[in-house]
Amino acid sequence: MRRNKKFCLSVLLCTLVMVLGFAAVALASGGAAVPIEAPAGKTPAFGNLYVIGWTAVNFFVLLALVYKFGYGPINAMLEQRTNTIEGSLKHAEEVKVEVEQMRKETAANLAESRKEAQEIVGRATKAAEEAKNELLAKAKEESTAMRNKANAEIQAATAQAKVELRDTAVTLAIMAAEKVLSRAINEADQKNMVKQFVAEAGDLLC
Amino acid sequence: MIFGMWDGVLFHLGPIPVDHLIVTEWVVIAFIGLIAMSATKNMQIVPRGLQNGFEAMILWTYDFFTQLMDEEHVAKKWAPILTSFFLFILISNYSGLIPGAAHIQGFQPPTSNWNVTMTLALITFFSIHVAGFSEHGGHYLHHFVSPSWAMLPLNLVEEVAHPLSLTVRLFGNIFGEETVVAYLLFMAPFLVPSAMMGLGLLLGAIQAIVFTILSASYIAAAAGAGH
Repeated sequence: MRRNKKFCLSVLLCTLVMVLGFAAVALASGGAAVPIEAPAGKTPAFGNLYVIGWTAVNFFVLLALVYKFGYGPINAMLEQRTNTIEGSLKHAEEVKVEVEQMRKETAANLAESRKEAQEIVGRATKAAEEAKNELLAKAKEESTAMRNKANAEIQAATAQAKVELRDTAVTLAIMAAEKVLSRAINEADQKNMVKQFVAEAGDLLC
Repeated sequence: MIFGMWDGVLFHLGPIPVDHLIVTEWVVIAFIGLIAMSATKNMQIVPRGLQNGFEAMILWTYDFFTQLMDEEHVAKKWAPILTSFFLFILISNYSGLIPGAAHIQGFQPPTSNWNVTMTLALITFFSIHVAGFSEHGGHYLHHFVSPSWAMLPLNLVEEVAHPLSLTVRLFGNIFGEETVVAYLLFMAPFLVPSAMMGLGLLLGAIQAIVFTILSASYIAAAAGAGH
């Protein structure tokens, strides 16, 4: 398909060239109709000094143009390109050295930081351990103190309760004695008194 | 007007007559100059477009001559003139393929005239000896009598044969090709000459390369260590 397209384009181009050629011939012959006359085929005269002179001048003008607009700028550009590439390579080398140095510095810093971090962690662990032990000891001490205090309080309360109980018992005994001594009582009164005593004593004891 | 008929003056520039093909030479030179100017007008470090193509062409010719001439300083010195030969001959040869070539007054392929090819060959001839003298000084004359005085006539013939062969080869090929196309155009106007014109594309490039290579090798031989 692509080859066919190229072939068609080539034929079209050739036809165009031929048609343009004919048009040019027709124009050159002052509008005379084609077909054209047969070629003369004679060779041009040799040694035309004007042609030689003009051609030499023209060639040196061309040489000047090629030098001025071809070799000159291109050589300058090549030199500039060479300088740019050399500069870039040099810069890249410098950057490479710098990066290598930075990498070494970073590695050293990292190692130092790691060491410092380990030391810090060690110190912190030790401090935490000490704090823990201190707290534990303090807590133990406090708990012991609290327990002792509580025991003492309990003992004090118990002793006071005993004292109070004894005092109450004495009071009750005195009260009971007062009751007994204050009037003559029969059996029924005695029973009532005992019941009343028990009821009152119960209120006091509770 | 048929090919070969305009071997004469088209107009006068003051007292100096200007032939038909000189006008084409001007157009060829203007074309090359314009391309070169456009390509190198705003040159960039990273080449693009026309600059890229023109740079590639100039560098290709420069590398080509450097390889051909062995010595870089000689190649560097003579590369512009050789590139000018190549471009001038190539564009001149191809100008004959443009419709109307040799049919419109003032438009005639310059390299189909042997005055033009002889001028180019003479420039090569002088370049050879300038290169020889500039590289070896007076010692360059020894090569005319090398390896012995008996060879002087043959060496002189060889020196004359160089420009003569360059003249006749380029002229003969381009003139012959143009004549054949003209005959074919007369006999079978449509399509048939296209094949010959296609060959003309190849022939034009080959002749430009051959002329330039031979010039470069002659200059290299004169400037080389052999002398």
